[in-house]
Formats: sequence, structure tokens, C-alpha cells
Amino acid sequence: MFDIKLATHLAELSKISFSQTELQKITKEMDEIIALMDTVSDFEITENSAVNPTVNMDDIRQDIPKKSMPRKDILKNAAQKTGKAFTVPKVV
Amino acid sequence: MKELIKKSTLSELGMGLKNKEFSSVELTTAYLEQARAMNGQTAAFITLTEEQALESAKKADELIASGKSKPLTGIPLGIKDNICTKGIKTTCASKMLEDFCPIYDATAVARLKKQGAVIIGKTNMDEFAMGSSSGTSYFGAVSNPYDLTRVPGGSSGGSAAAVALNMCAAALGSDTGGSVRQPAAFCGITGLKPTYGAVSRYGLIAFASSFDQIGTMAKTADDCGILLGAIAGKDEFDSTCSALPFKNCLSALNRGVKKLTIGLPKEFFGDQIDSSVKSAVFSAAEVYKNMGAEIKEVSLPDLKYAVAAYYLISSAEAASNLSRYDGIKYGHRSKNGKTYEDVIKNSRREGFGKEVKRRIMLGNYALSSGYYEAYYSKAVKIRQRLKTELDEIFKSCDFILTPTAPTTAYKKGSVEKNPTQMYSADICTVMANIAGLPAVSTTCGYDKNGLPIGMSLMGKAFSEATIIGAASAFEAVFERREAVL
Repeated sequence: MFDIKLATHLAELSKISFSQTELQKITKEMDEIIALMDTVSDFEITENSAVNPTVNMDDIRQDIPKKSMPRKDILKNAAQKTGKAFTVPKVV
Repeated sequence: MKELIKKSTLSELGMGLKNKEFSSVELTTAYLEQARAMNGQTAAFITLTEEQALESAKKADELIASGKSKPLTGIPLGIKDNICTKGIKTTCASKMLEDFCPIYDATAVARLKKQGAVIIGKTNMDEFAMGSSSGTSYFGAVSNPYDLTRVPGGSSGGSAAAVALNMCAAALGSDTGGSVRQPAAFCGITGLKPTYGAVSRYGLIAFASSFDQIGTMAKTADDCGILLGAIAGKDEFDSTCSALPFKNCLSALNRGVKKLTIGLPKEFFGDQIDSSVKSAVFSAAEVYKNMGAEIKEVSLPDLKYAVAAYYLISSAEAASNLSRYDGIKYGHRSKNGKTYEDVIKNSRREGFGKEVKRRIMLGNYALSSGYYEAYYSKAVKIRQRLKTELDEIFKSCDFILTPTAPTTAYKKGSVEKNPTQMYSADICTVMANIAGLPAVSTTCGYDKNGLPIGMSLMGKAFSEATIIGAASAFEAVFERREAVL
């Protein structure tokens, strides 16, 4: 059973704030979604290991340092910045 | 020009440009006029890049005049709005990225530009590609070109509608669980999801990295192949991009389907599939049989686990990928909250829509302590099993033929509010993403309301040439109906 306590915990892990009303609504929706996901409980496992069967990364490029993008470009899409850095609320 | 853009394939447009029957500026102007005329009704484009497009068209005309043109030089294309375009807003149809303007091009876009292709705009989609109706867009729902009261499918619904209504010659989409093929089916066009690793994901805004692939959408399978040929191939910016030389995907075009064995997996024709859809796909199988193909019933016994496994893994990957949206480096930043933590939580609350939040919550659920083994780990093992079952089928079949979606396009608002119903409808498409295989959807019939029915051809890894060739052979004998608004 997906309850509001679990929804609150997952909201915290997800770093999303919800109002109490929103939390109640998403709890109900998640309960239905998890019921669909529970289809996997019938599956009988014979596989020993779990690896992604599609991704093959045998051919990785050489680790050669290259010039980074210009700082002004990196900062371009930040909502709040100084000339050289992103700004965040004071943490200490 | 209006008739020309309605009827011409990419090859024909390329030939016309090369022979100076018309210029790229004239062609681009015609597509832009059509896009402006149709966008109010369909919301297919989020951004139209008129100025840049005409500038690119002028350069393309110069390239053509110099005799150095390539297959896509001067051809106007649409790009899904989750594929980065330098200097052009790339919103992912989300409030979170409403003002995001990339500082680099996705590799696929860079390769199109290198050919001299013209980008006429960024197409609408489900927010962060999470959905199959293109109704979760922050910028408004996209409409189906055959019936404006219906959905165009998703998440690449804007690209599909734009191609169907001749607002661009072809388009790029992205396909994580069917997002190129299902809208192609609903909008009566052709959509190709390449093999995982065929096209670089660099600059494709990440949703679920082990499933995501950029795909191509056009009026014909040949055109999808031409577009794929331009964007495919190894890229040093994506380590999952295959080092295998990508075969010319048009090489099998003239071969047809003679001597090919086509598998019909019985689980794809169950009760959840509409009878009109089943009937159209069976008729297509008959067409292939008459062309000399062998039709064989096959089985995927564990298909029933595919949707849940797909949603568990893709949501887990999405929860991780979308953790980058903190409101600090880029994207929407909340004005509410005094602490660092509050700014992040409020930015995500305000920036993400409901479906995106549900997927993040589901992903973190599947990954969290106490649930990981029962959900995420099990889903990965199911993924392995399904891949094995498909490998077994492909020992005796060249490709499998299935419906692309259980139904034709449904009415807006009829299904979207029920997430589990939406998820379950992905049953026909998720297998190609689970196994990383190529699949193409093309129109194989129309239902009683005149809505297109799509069929899907899924092949072995890197067998794009075969499935494009087979889809093309069917298209040659099928009478496709244009969408008319």
C-alpha cells in the first residue's frame, strides 16, 4: 500500500515540495501506478546477474584534456549569477 | 509550391534543388507559410525560427550553386524540442526549460547543419518526452492532423503533426518507449527508431539514457532512411554510440521482401488490440506473403512484463537524470525559499508538470531501500529475458510485424488523465527500446473514422536497411491518404 508517509519520503528523495492536497492526490495516483508495476512480482527469475543488455561501451575515447566551454557561456542560462559564478542562498 | 511540398519526397526535393527547379529560399518560404497557417490549429511547433531558416536557406542555395550539395542541402526540417540547437530555445515543452537556450548543437543537429539542411523550428512534445499524447506540453496540447479533437500521439507528436501537414519536409523525434513510432502511426506518417547506439545522444536532453534514441520521421520509409544516414555514426561525445560502421540504410530498398521470413508474435494480437488494428496488420502480412515473404507465428511469452519493466527502469533513470534541474545552473529558479534546499525543492515544484513528478517519484521508489530488489533489480532481469526471447525469434525471422499501438488516435482528454491506462497502451512499442532494436512504423490502413493505423517492423540490431526496405515495399503498393484540415 502506497501511503502518504511513503509519498512524503519519496518527495524528500525527489527534492520536490508538495502541498498537503497535492501529496494526497499523488499518493492515490502512485498507489494505482505501483499496482501496475506489481506485475513484475509474478516473474520467475532465472537470470543470475542483472546487466543492461543494450549498452556496449567497449570503445571508450582516450582521456585527453580539452579546453572547456567559456565561463560566460556556461553562466548564460543561470537565473542568478555574478560575473564569475552561479549564486545560491547563503549556506553557512 | 504548395502542391510540390505536399507530394515530394526528400529525394525529389533534393533533385529539384540540384536542378534549380526551385531554390531553398523558395522551398523554405513555402514550408514556413504552411507552418504559420497550421500552427494555430495544431500547436505542432513551439518555436518557428523564420529568420535563421531563411539565412540557412540562402547559404544552402550558395552551396548548391557551387556544386557541393549533399542529400539534405536546402531541405527544411523540424527538430523536436528536446534536441539541443545552439542559439535556439530548447524547452523540452517544460516550464523548467522555458527560457533555456543551448550553447551547443546536438551531434545529430550538427550533422544536419553540416549537410546544409535548414532548421525551420522546434516541435512540440510531451514534457520531457514523458507521455504518449503530446498533451503534457507546458505550451499547450498538440492536435491530430486527421481530427483536431484527437491526440497526435507522443511524445514526438509535434514532429509527427508537422510532417503530416507539410509544415516541414521531415523531422527528428526521440524514442524512449515508442515516442517516434506511436505518433507516426496516429498521424499517418512513417517513423523510425534506430538501433540503440546508431545515433549519438549528445545534445538529446536525457530522459532514460539506456533507452533514448533520436529517430527520424517523414512521409516515407525511404525518407526516414535518408535522414538516418545523415545523423548516424560514431561520436566521441557519446560513449554508447556504436563504433560499428553504419551500413547504408537504403541499400536493401530495391530488394523488397522476397525470401524474407516475417514473424507475427501472437501476444501482440491479444484482446487489448482493437479489431480494426489487428485486421489491418494481418492484411499487411498478407500483402507481404503475396510479395514472396514467408509469414510465421512466433511467441514472446514474457511480453506481459514488458510495460512494468520499462516504466520501472526508465523512471529510475529519469529520476537520476532529472536531478540536475536544481534551478541554479540553468532552468526555472523559484523566487520562493530562503535556503538552498528550499530553492531547489520549489524550483522543481514550479518547473515540473504532474507527469514528470510522477515519473521521478516512481523512479525513486524503484531505487529506494527496501524496494530496489523487488522492482528495479527485477525489471533489469526481465529486460534481459525479453532480449533473449527476441534473440531466439530472430534466429528464424528477419523481422517481426506487429501493431504500433493498440488503438488509433483517441479523443483528447479521454485517456491522458489515467496514467496506468496511458502506460499500458505502450505495450506494442516498448520492446524495441527494452532490447535496443530498430523498428519502423508505417501506415497500413484506416479505421472507420478515417484515422490512420500503424504497423511496426522490428528487426535485429543494425538491420535498419532490411526494415526500411520492407516498409518501403509495402508503401509502394499502399494508398496513403493525406491529412486535410
